[in-house]
Amino acid sequence: MIDTVGAFLVLVGAAFAALAGLGQLRFRDLFVRMHVATKPSTLGLLLVAVGAMFRIDGRGVIPVLLLIVVLQFLTAPVAAHLIGRAAHRRGEWDRDDVIVDHLADEDEL
Amino acid sequence: MIVAALILLAVGGAGFLIKLVIGPNLSDRVVSLDGILTILVIVMMAWSAYTGRDTFLIVGVVVALVAFLGTSIFARFVEGRGR
Repeated sequence: MIDTVGAFLVLVGAAFAALAGLGQLRFRDLFVRMHVATKPSTLGLLLVAVGAMFRIDGRGVIPVLLLIVVLQFLTAPVAAHLIGRAAHRRGEWDRDDVIVDHLADEDEL
Repeated sequence: MIVAALILLAVGGAGFLIKLVIGPNLSDRVVSLDGILTILVIVMMAWSAYTGRDTFLIVGVVVALVAFLGTSIFARFVEGRGR
């Protein structure tokens, strides 16, 4: 029973990660692609980690999985922010879709 | 069921890999590289859930750390300040 629950969670998390990969081919703008690359794969990582906690025997596994989840939740937004700012400064994005551009105002100062 | 999950992860990784090859800009490639490393961590956890052993979980921790360091350093070089 509990193995089935774990396998189902792993399957749902893998589906979210596959959506992140397919969204790379689907969307056109860099910032939309960054959004679709960061958020579903982080949720998928959380679901797969919980599913792996259900399936792997041994008590030492759960802290390692929690460490992976905490590391990913702390570092993924920071990394995405760094890439987004670098891409904005290089101008590799679609300027027509943007209404408000706070970072350009800040760079002019 | 976990075999289907691994196949789905392979599909997602293939999407990131195609974008890594054809991406027109350098920023697209950095985003794809970060996504590939995240998928790699997920694959390691799913493989551990498949076999029931915890051999690859420590490798997952290391890959998560290296993904953050590599992405931030790549972003610095893309911005042109890291020279």
